[in-house]
Amino acid sequence: MNYSRCLSSRSSDLLVLIAACVILVPIGWIVLAAFKSNVDVFQLKLFFSPTLANFATILDPPYVIHHKLLNSAIVALVVVVVSIPIATLAAYSLSRFKLYGASFMLTAILATQFIPAVTIVLPFFLMFRSIGMLDTLLALILIHTSIVMPYAIWMIKGFIDGIPIETEEAALVDGATRLQVIRNIVLPMAAPGVITASIFSFILSWNEFMFALVLTRRDAITLPVGLALFNAETGVQWHLLAATSLIIMIPMIVLALLIQRHFVQGMTMGAVR
Amino acid sequence: MASIRLENIEKRWGSFTAVQRQSLDVADNEFLVLLGPSGCGKTTTMRMVAGLEQPTAGDIWIGDRRVTHDLPKDRDIAMVFQNYGLYPHMSVADNIGYPLKVRGISRGRREAEIRKAAAKVELTHLLDRRPRELSGGQRQRVALARAIIRTPRAFLMDEPLSNLDAKLRVTMRAELKHLQNELGITTIYVTHDQIEAMTLAHRVAVMNEGVVQQIAPPDQIYDRPANVFVAGFIGSPPMNLIHVKAENDLLVAENARVKMAAAMPAQDLILGVRPEDVSLCAQNEGSMRGSVFASELTGDSVLVTVQVGSQRVLAKQDRSFRIDAGAPVGLRLNENRLHLFDAETKERLP
Repeated sequence: MNYSRCLSSRSSDLLVLIAACVILVPIGWIVLAAFKSNVDVFQLKLFFSPTLANFATILDPPYVIHHKLLNSAIVALVVVVVSIPIATLAAYSLSRFKLYGASFMLTAILATQFIPAVTIVLPFFLMFRSIGMLDTLLALILIHTSIVMPYAIWMIKGFIDGIPIETEEAALVDGATRLQVIRNIVLPMAAPGVITASIFSFILSWNEFMFALVLTRRDAITLPVGLALFNAETGVQWHLLAATSLIIMIPMIVLALLIQRHFVQGMTMGAVR
Repeated sequence: MASIRLENIEKRWGSFTAVQRQSLDVADNEFLVLLGPSGCGKTTTMRMVAGLEQPTAGDIWIGDRRVTHDLPKDRDIAMVFQNYGLYPHMSVADNIGYPLKVRGISRGRREAEIRKAAAKVELTHLLDRRPRELSGGQRQRVALARAIIRTPRAFLMDEPLSNLDAKLRVTMRAELKHLQNELGITTIYVTHDQIEAMTLAHRVAVMNEGVVQQIAPPDQIYDRPANVFVAGFIGSPPMNLIHVKAENDLLVAENARVKMAAAMPAQDLILGVRPEDVSLCAQNEGSMRGSVFASELTGDSVLVTVQVGSQRVLAKQDRSFRIDAGAPVGLRLNENRLHLFDAETKERLP
């Protein structure tokens, strides 16, 4: 009995180790490559003379990665700032009010995300071209908002569903208006969900590639698209690509560390409801 | 402080009628208890008064103001919920002070009022805690303090004691009664617990299937139930309801012949008699005879169930009384405490 339990524990440890390797080895390679010179990149040695030259190079023309970093940051932040309040109010309405066709609406909202991006990117390209919005941050913000909104609505709704209705009714009877109820009662209680949805929306927008690739050319290029710049005629500049990848990853890692507690609580609470 | 009037109020959800069209008056300073089994419409009635449900028909008046379509915040009422409805992310003090905060009362005045309300329910030492750090009884006090902090025109209480243990319920019941006496605020109290209803109410409205069956002071509800439902619902153990036929001045059933003071027309009746009004005697002496089906000691009394023909009759005996199952017995009924109901309409006969 003990032997088999021990064996099972060992095998699950081994599986976790393999999974961790699969995930971490590429990340580790990128981190190391970001500080290696071009010639060192293909040598899998762990000890080398680290250099910051790659980061200096990607800031210079023709790469000007800081410009793309700024674009990514503006788009992701504006998407979060715009979509989360709207998603919260939509989620509240869908959770609390008897709306005609509410369940259809909820399914329809999510169903929009089942359509592969590649099939609708061309109509969007034509549409934005005809109204002169190609290669603008506004176009990306609009598209990214439409991408993150369904997920945000579903996530936040799960949390609001979990708030006892009596708590809100108590506040209404205590003299609060509906908006006061949302601000004073619902938002603080659904905070883990709202934070989770915000992080998720930020990540979705930050990592989005397909629309950014097709709808931008020069001025509104974001970081993921910027990576393509390193595929030069002389071959892929892996050391520069790794340095840029590291810059893309850092905000995600910092975000995850800062709000890990909310994120875990958010994901699990959303899951059980 | 104000009276509450429900005029021809009705609540339907599709084809389901939760509260049937009826009127109800609650006098100023009165403590009215809505009593009934689950799903009888008592909570829906209260929620309509609170403004948390819109009536399908009818009007609601609080004082001289019609509030039927007013928002809950504009009705100037306070409500205590079954699960207390506390705000888990706020401290006890912030919970109590919330009704004043949303009314824009300054922090200084708010704090003074919070302390005053907390003192009334002995919560002063817990003001910094969060609701999750409190016991059930303490949470209940927070909900009460939040209700009394701003002298509303009416209190609405929805089974506020049902989540407390039996001992605490008795204590809190007394405190509620004391508080209502002290503040003199019109109160509607919903419960399915008849002891709460009998001990707290000035008047009890017994509800069933969306209809108020009887509205009267507790002693009258107990002594003169308006129909079979009220007779069977009020009292623990419940009233015996025995199917009989009237034959002149006799009520006849299998193994039962109960003599009445006056002759009655022949008809099917239901004879109601409370267990404490039934005593055991020799089989040939009483107005009913049968054999002991079961005998149960409850602590302060012994409940003896007697099989009389095809019906069973419960008799409440002294705690020292002992009898074996199967023993033949007679039953003597207190003739001054008999209740007669029409077997068809189930209504009380005068």
